[in-house]
Amino acid sequence: MPSRILIAGGGLAAQRAAETLRARGHDGAIQVICAEPVAPYDRPPLSKELVGTPFRPAEWYADNDVELLLGRRACALDVGARQVALDDGAVGYDALVIATGSRPRRLPALVGRPNVLELRTVADAERLRSALTPGARLAIVGGGFVGLEVAATARRLGADVTVIEAASAPLARVLGPSLGGWFAALHRAEGVRVEVGSGLEAALPAVAGAPVSALVLADGREIEADVVLSAVGVAPETRWLAGSPLAGDRVAVDPCGRTVVPGVWAAGDVVGGDHWEPAARLGAAVARSILGLDVGAAPPASFWSDQYGIRIQLVGSAGADVVEIDGSDRSFTAVLRRHGAVCGALLVGRPRELPTWRRRLADAATERKAA
Amino acid sequence: MTLLPRVDEYSCCGHGDCAAIAPHVFRVDEIAVVTGEGSDDVVLEAARACPAMAIEVVDEATGEPVDL
Repeated sequence: MPSRILIAGGGLAAQRAAETLRARGHDGAIQVICAEPVAPYDRPPLSKELVGTPFRPAEWYADNDVELLLGRRACALDVGARQVALDDGAVGYDALVIATGSRPRRLPALVGRPNVLELRTVADAERLRSALTPGARLAIVGGGFVGLEVAATARRLGADVTVIEAASAPLARVLGPSLGGWFAALHRAEGVRVEVGSGLEAALPAVAGAPVSALVLADGREIEADVVLSAVGVAPETRWLAGSPLAGDRVAVDPCGRTVVPGVWAAGDVVGGDHWEPAARLGAAVARSILGLDVGAAPPASFWSDQYGIRIQLVGSAGADVVEIDGSDRSFTAVLRRHGAVCGALLVGRPRELPTWRRRLADAATERKAA
Repeated sequence: MTLLPRVDEYSCCGHGDCAAIAPHVFRVDEIAVVTGEGSDDVVLEAARACPAMAIEVVDEATGEPVDL
């Protein structure tokens, strides 16, 4: 059994790996490389409440002999020497968990502008919160879940909000045009300007390094702003793996989180997902795999979003070709079908239906396997 | 063997799957709380189904956690 376990990254997958290692009896060293200067925290509240919620009280780490290397960054991996180079020094390991998460994608037109923010860390959330004074004009580039949640939060704080989405509707690429249209209508009813169908072309003034005063879309529309949030998705944080056998745009793993390199596992956004449940589950699975324990099958994953006090949940997989909606405006179930078979459901204001749907999808998957 | 579930309040997200599987054992408002006892099978099923993996199951006789 490996004695020194090193976790590169300090998010959800890292936390769950550390907890499961201790809960399942690992008594050797656990070190966690946290790029941020704070103990691991939960990220969903960043866009919902503009705060990060610590996973555990501060003393948990000392009580469980989990060493946090705060404010340190993994810079390179040497699989031969079993060593991770940090920005200052290096750490050896017997088993390594790569959990460096993801980083926001950036649009060239918005790089280097002081009033363009992104939302990935608790420091980002603090900056955004302080910029959202009542009446501040916030332009959100990207109508995905993060952009929409921030729109709802910013409205609650009294900001004047515009969401810009290049597709025909927010979330249209994930949920299709009819559900995307529902999200557009919801946000418009709450006083958000929703500008769809045209991508960002430029930021004004056209002076490098100057604060943005307005955004120009490809079709000529212009949106004035005091602050801009760039929310156009994330990419796995794999840059530090350049030159190692795991270099690439994501780290490939098996269902236990094992990579192709002996002694190296990976979990969380870095393996190519960007949702909470799979990250939590794989973080725990990796710990079990390191300890030689069995890893159980995962139930169909769900994802949740909170907007204007409405709980929105997606269970199963999106990418439906047919959507059947049952219910009223702010409380409905959308059944997602692909090639005739139910592949998932979007629940709006119906949290108690989630377990039923998860079961239904699990049963359908079992039947498909048996067939 | 009698198995007792324990909900980790820091990990529970209030999904409600446990209460759907074992309504006599769990109640979910903001987060899940244990309100009663159930058969070992139903307790294990609920714990394994938790999407946040927030339920630990302990053998009442030994106090040891059970492998899920």
